[in-house]
Amino acid sequence: MNRRFGARWLLWCALLLFSGATEAAARSYPMDTMAPRSDLAELIQSVYVQVTLWDLLVLVVVIVALFLAIFWFSTRFGEPGEEPVQFHSHMGLEVAWTAGPILILVLITVPTVRAVFNTQPYHWPKEALTVRVIAHQWWWEFRYPSLGAQTANEVHIPADRMIHFELESADVIHSFWMPALGGKRDVVPGQINQITLVAKVPGEYYGQCAEFCGASHANMRFRVFVDTAEGFQRWVADQLKPPVMPASGLASEGARIYQNAPCAICHRVKGISGFSKQYEGGFRGPDLTHFAGRSTLAAGVLDNTPDNLATWIQDPQTVKPGALMPRLGLKGHELTALVAYLESLK
Amino acid sequence: MAAQPKEIAGQRPSYLAEGGLVGWLTTIDHKRVAVLYGLSSLFFLFVGGFEALLVRTQLAVPNNHLLSADTYNQMFTMHGTTMIFMVIMPLEIGFFANFLIPLMIGARDVAFPRINALSFWVFIFGALFMNAGWLWHALPDAGWFGYANLTERYYSPGMNIDLWDIGLLILGVSTLLSGLNFFVTIVNMRCPGMTFMRMPMFMWAMLVTTVLILLAFPALTVGLIFLFLDRFIGTHFYVAALGATPILWQHLFWIFGHPEVYIMALPAFGIISEILPVFSRKPLFGYAGMAYALVLIAFLSYGVWGHHMFSTGMGPVADATFSITSMLIAVPTGIKIFSWIATVWGGKLRMTTAMYFALAFILEFTIGGLSGVMHASPPIDLQQTDSYFIVAHFHYVLFGGMMFAILGAFFYWWPKITGRLLDEKLGRWQFWLTVIGFNGTFFPMHFLGVLGMPRRIYTYPAGMGWTFWNSFETACAYLLGVAFLIFLVNLVRSLRSEQAVGDDPWDARTLEWSVGSPPPAHNFDDIVTVRGRDAFWLMKYGSHDAPGHDSSAGARASAAHAEAGHAHVHLPAPSWYPLLFAAGLLVMGVGAMTWLRVVFLGAGLLLVSIVGMGFEYATYGQETEESRATFFRGVDSRKMGMWAFLGSECVFFACLISTYMVYKARNLGGPDAAVLDIPLTSFSTFVLLTSSLLMVLALAAIQRGDRKWSAIWLFGTAGFGLVFLGGQVYEFSKLYLVEHLAMQDNLFGQTFYTLVGTHGTHVAIGVVWLFVMAFAALKGKLQQSRSLAVEIAGLYWHFVDIVWIVIFTLVYLMRSIKEA
Repeated sequence: MNRRFGARWLLWCALLLFSGATEAAARSYPMDTMAPRSDLAELIQSVYVQVTLWDLLVLVVVIVALFLAIFWFSTRFGEPGEEPVQFHSHMGLEVAWTAGPILILVLITVPTVRAVFNTQPYHWPKEALTVRVIAHQWWWEFRYPSLGAQTANEVHIPADRMIHFELESADVIHSFWMPALGGKRDVVPGQINQITLVAKVPGEYYGQCAEFCGASHANMRFRVFVDTAEGFQRWVADQLKPPVMPASGLASEGARIYQNAPCAICHRVKGISGFSKQYEGGFRGPDLTHFAGRSTLAAGVLDNTPDNLATWIQDPQTVKPGALMPRLGLKGHELTALVAYLESLK
Repeated sequence: MAAQPKEIAGQRPSYLAEGGLVGWLTTIDHKRVAVLYGLSSLFFLFVGGFEALLVRTQLAVPNNHLLSADTYNQMFTMHGTTMIFMVIMPLEIGFFANFLIPLMIGARDVAFPRINALSFWVFIFGALFMNAGWLWHALPDAGWFGYANLTERYYSPGMNIDLWDIGLLILGVSTLLSGLNFFVTIVNMRCPGMTFMRMPMFMWAMLVTTVLILLAFPALTVGLIFLFLDRFIGTHFYVAALGATPILWQHLFWIFGHPEVYIMALPAFGIISEILPVFSRKPLFGYAGMAYALVLIAFLSYGVWGHHMFSTGMGPVADATFSITSMLIAVPTGIKIFSWIATVWGGKLRMTTAMYFALAFILEFTIGGLSGVMHASPPIDLQQTDSYFIVAHFHYVLFGGMMFAILGAFFYWWPKITGRLLDEKLGRWQFWLTVIGFNGTFFPMHFLGVLGMPRRIYTYPAGMGWTFWNSFETACAYLLGVAFLIFLVNLVRSLRSEQAVGDDPWDARTLEWSVGSPPPAHNFDDIVTVRGRDAFWLMKYGSHDAPGHDSSAGARASAAHAEAGHAHVHLPAPSWYPLLFAAGLLVMGVGAMTWLRVVFLGAGLLLVSIVGMGFEYATYGQETEESRATFFRGVDSRKMGMWAFLGSECVFFACLISTYMVYKARNLGGPDAAVLDIPLTSFSTFVLLTSSLLMVLALAAIQRGDRKWSAIWLFGTAGFGLVFLGGQVYEFSKLYLVEHLAMQDNLFGQTFYTLVGTHGTHVAIGVVWLFVMAFAALKGKLQQSRSLAVEIAGLYWHFVDIVWIVIFTLVYLMRSIKEA
């Protein structure tokens, strides 16, 4: 009975695995850790591959030994035959399986320790671009101290230039993770952690908070845009421009609503609202100066479309439980106008 | 309550024979306590499984909103906390070890039967306390390792974390007492001939586990006390302000937390080391190596806590160090795995369900161990930590390892515990469903981790490539649920079956199978004498080379009970006080969350039950004929217990002192150690140290039977202790009133008051104890034969004094060294 059932199960599993594999071939994996796009991620992957190979070797040895022991070098209770020899130790064997793993560990340790020291330099080259990351419950603030620019939830960095992320927390412990660009690093209040890397391939990458940080931990995502050097220059220049002030129409109506509604208490639109106080390490809410230039809203949770924006403003708690953003009670025309204004902030 | 010890002569009723609710509530029989543990943790197993299934259901499809974020966070937190503290540990330690330790080492009970019952009641009340959150939808919700500063009042204002904090403190008391109890039992209560190197491997595992418990849990206690103070009094131990850092919690938690992994793993190793030899009909391979490997794992486990913190930015030196120490653990673990395989090799395998689980354990645990080697490497860890890869890893260790061992243990020892076999056919169904469900649920988590899915997210968007594996895992998780339902059916059916099982259904090797199934209340009719490893096998077959299975039941019985003597067995009387003690602790916990007065009520209950238990213990401090016969290991069990407790206290104070040292160096603003009054404290130090001398004189006096002088010296010791306390009260008042230093003010304030105050509390307890003793001496109740009572109190008192020498040096004399 068991054997037949086992076989059927095996078949089922194989089928499922196969369909999984075909799905895998068809899909993209925005958070894949095995598709390194920076020097840091490549180094990590090389260590990972080495250790995995050693692990697989040990696993194969254990499986072979175990199956030989069960199915080959043993008999079954109830079968005729002698009682087993009561041997209980063998010095040579025991020394071998102590020394073998030690040897493997040495081989793993060397690249590990080397990578540890290489990825955590005490000094950075002067030309490294510093990006200050300030984690909030539950969104990300990005500042470029040397450029005077700041943005939220979508960080732009130039390719082929050393980037030095300085991680700072405004509240609890978070973890800054961009799988394609390297390992995560916790964002700890009261201390500044660092990640240094050189991104190699321009493109859009996903990131997410990896340390449980409260109700909406799952909704604390971000995007990394690795630009070409020129692309990055253009982006910075855009960021430094003052926001567009709509002259007329729905958007200008929205601008008035924005200024009169409580939005401006927490969010900054450069030159228009100056209320937003520095709050410990940063702002209470994301900077909206070039909001429409971002592809997502609410920390990577929704695509940045007028409809989604309206949903978010109407009921932030449904999109992001626990978020500080209150329900403002805006609806109808007012809401449309506000959305129109925000979406005009290219 | 005042029941007399029972006399049992000749007949051997099973330990389950006497029923009645009161009997179970007041029982102090290790087997009954074990059964209570077993039932409660089976209940929590299904609670934890239910939570797991809710979590899996939520993740089955992207953007699922079946559970709210809040509920989901409570579920995964409670799933982890429940499975670790209310299922795996109590099943391994409270149920199997509790039942088996005395039986395996040839003892009649554990060293401290009342404390054993007390451990259980504290455990169950602590577990219920934490689960009270179900009633208010306020279960703990910050993850099982509850990282500060998310757990601070500001970020978690509800009662959720209060329940977690206080609940874990209560559970910690239970575990610590169990650890102490079993440690003393194994060291002290082994029957004649049962040397350490002849003990069953499960006993070795438990011995090492209890040491780990004693030395690891105090770190958690200290961490939880700090959290309690932060949440209730407004100190700043884990707030990123005034120079404090939330990372302190992670250090304290993982100094406990990594040994905790081995507190769960080592008993499982022990279980496997019992099952494999029996069903292979061969002795355990490499016994000595296996025992040393256990010790080595335990030793190394204290030096690896940092590998949980690679991503916190400890710096390359710490990362590299913790990485190397962590990897080293693979060596003794490898020894164990290969030795298990060698045990099976060449055996005559009896493929029971227990054996299936044990064999599967080897493979599943190896997978978990190997992925552990991966993230012992910090660069890899930075990608894998807090992702589903880690979830896969620790479920391969905790489920594929510990739970498989536990299930194997159920099938192996169930007949001994209940006198009924579990059904093999159902067992086989359960086994295969478990293997398929388990691997189907957790193996794809490796893929999800590699694909970048973070753990602890209540929802995830479509288009991440995570959907398929998540749905697949959820389906398999339900399969796993079915497997456990089959298990439940099997347990219930076996209990209702009439078919009794023999004493030794597996032709096993260790002593527990030499007694009845279920065993009699007093375990062994006569004291057993052991002549080698696999003691029962030797009794049956005369040598390790089994000549066949020709031994009749009669021959076995006569072999097992060859030793004559002891027709009358003293069994300690049942007691209400353990239950009362636990109730007191529970009331204190409730009080902490409601009204302060309730705390005092609870403390009152606690005091009454401690005193009650003290008086109940008729032989306390007395070296009776019985105690000499039972405690033949040289050091009296009570003294050994005190030593074990003091060992544990060392870690407790070490954590407090290191926190003080670290935070003193980080202190920003406000008064610091410069305000301390050295001359005054030097004087009270002198007084306290002198009191130790008086204590020595008191003990000397009672030992030579001089009651008058022993009373005088005891009063003197207590009096000097009082003087010291008076000095401390004066010092604290001055600091508070003159220097305006409150606990909440700065890092120096909170760590100073906590450290020195905790020591003061220890002194105060000692003073009360000494006064009780002194009055007893005055009343003539303290005879020469009870000198042990004074000796134990003395041990405690000297320890408290020694701790003070350390505190005085580091806090007072070295106050000016800023970066000490």
